[in-house]
Amino acid sequence: MIEYILGYLHSDVTPGEAGNLFWVTVYVLLVFLGISVGVIFMNWFERKVMAHMQVRIGPMRVGPHGLLQPVADALKLIIKEDLMPAHADKIVFWFAPVCVVMTAFCGFIVVPFGRTHAITDMNIGVLFMLGVSSLGVLGVIMAGWASNSQYPLMGSLRSGAQMVSYEVAMCMSVVSAVMMTSLVTGTGTMSMIGIVQAQEQQHMWFAFSFFPVGLTALGVFAIAMVAETNRAPFDLPEAESELVAGFLTEYSGFRWSLFFLAEYAGMMAVSAIATTLWLGGWLRPFPHLLGGANWDTAFSLVPGLGFILLGALCLFYAVKMPKLRSMRGNLLGLAGFGAFLAAMGLFMLLPGVRTRVQDIFWFTIKVGFFMYLYIWYRTTFPRYRFDQLMKIGWKFLLPISIAVVVLTAVIGVRQELLALLFSSWFGGRR
Amino acid sequence: MTIREMLRRFFLVDLLQGMWVTFRHQNPADLVTEQYPLQRPDISDRFRGQPRLMKGEDGKLLCTACGACALACPEKLIKVGSVRDPETKKKVLTEFDFDLGRCMFCGLCEEACPSDAILLSPDYELALYTREGMELQRPQLEDGIERKVYEK
Repeated sequence: MIEYILGYLHSDVTPGEAGNLFWVTVYVLLVFLGISVGVIFMNWFERKVMAHMQVRIGPMRVGPHGLLQPVADALKLIIKEDLMPAHADKIVFWFAPVCVVMTAFCGFIVVPFGRTHAITDMNIGVLFMLGVSSLGVLGVIMAGWASNSQYPLMGSLRSGAQMVSYEVAMCMSVVSAVMMTSLVTGTGTMSMIGIVQAQEQQHMWFAFSFFPVGLTALGVFAIAMVAETNRAPFDLPEAESELVAGFLTEYSGFRWSLFFLAEYAGMMAVSAIATTLWLGGWLRPFPHLLGGANWDTAFSLVPGLGFILLGALCLFYAVKMPKLRSMRGNLLGLAGFGAFLAAMGLFMLLPGVRTRVQDIFWFTIKVGFFMYLYIWYRTTFPRYRFDQLMKIGWKFLLPISIAVVVLTAVIGVRQELLALLFSSWFGGRR
Repeated sequence: MTIREMLRRFFLVDLLQGMWVTFRHQNPADLVTEQYPLQRPDISDRFRGQPRLMKGEDGKLLCTACGACALACPEKLIKVGSVRDPETKKKVLTEFDFDLGRCMFCGLCEEACPSDAILLSPDYELALYTREGMELQRPQLEDGIERKVYEK
């Protein structure tokens, strides 16, 4: 038994591939915990960043700089009365949030946080993620139907139409990235880990492959994923000026918080796809241009130093806090949090730890960039009208994504020919 | 549509400009929120708040008990009481009542006063739970109202 558990530690594949059930369970729990903590953090971060972009300060009172605000919110949501409208379809009404949460979390089975830091590796990884995440529409439509109310039904119909139409453009741009994986090795792959390894072998993130083509595919995906997760400026299903709260109108308390959890988990899932497919997944910046043992060591120090910097920032703000009796708890809390972060940073500097942690760190940074973009879009852009939304999806993104697929195929096949033709321009870079 | 406009639309220049605006405003120096009990706002000297009876450089009240403020007050909420000093034949102020509950802070008493003795000062925390404390007497007008500072 103990040998079975310890045996995995020497392998360099994911626990799913190794077939080790114990470590699979541990990884599932870790990923679930990590995503939940990420959602809690995102709740605070979104309110803070939105507030600062709107020249406000945001939550400030619960905990130092409002750090405990999401905890207070979660507590309030759990205590709140759980209403169910009269004549609602009880079973479907109960199942809808469960369905949405399950689909949002299922996608993380194949997300590679590092070469060994994934629950499992599937040879149809991308397809699995897209398939599972589009099942979320079902939950939304169920929620709208079961509520026995007009606004939720309207919201869920909008959501269904929107998610279905943006799925097409999204998948087309994914296809172009999957085609790029076959460039050097000759065999393409849909495995998430395989896609990152292909980028490693080709010495280039797919965002920069065939210069404007990969970037365009990423752009199409980045727009489609905002619409796919029903976020501003495509948040028509929840347009509060027209539909109260869309399919969420009749939900309250814990069920509503499940929808909230699923929304943020879904955002992270699609961001993880974008990161894996175009931004090199867990690879650190410039793994080949700045290669060699020295650069490896230098980059592996970054996570630890980053955490120490965060801890120092916390201590700095703790010192800057107003000196009042009533603020003493907050001050100590922030200082303690800073000390905790700094200690974690020191722990990450240990040679054994830093080589394992850096994959997760770079992956999280890249996903975090997309999460920041989500907030940034939300504060900047006004909501689109529904016909404008459909026009963008079908008349703008879909043709571009199909063109991207065709261009990828043509350039990929004729690459040697093109390289000959433009060798004077590109200077034989490839 | 000119080529310039088309390029602007194609490369989403307007959207990027908007995003730059929101990004810029994250600068903490731009914040306009005041955390009121911790940070107290700077109030202009011309703000009309709590009424005060002013003293001169010699420490005596400037008020001559002429009653011009009581006449000027549209709400008739000022009551000036005085006695004539038999030796100097001058009026001496005995009582000065100011009913803050009816005051609309128009500042006409301030304007009417010939000796600049009454002033609507920039102190602003005047809310009370009952109407009783609203009737200000001479000590409160001369020295200001002491507010209890609450600690959590």
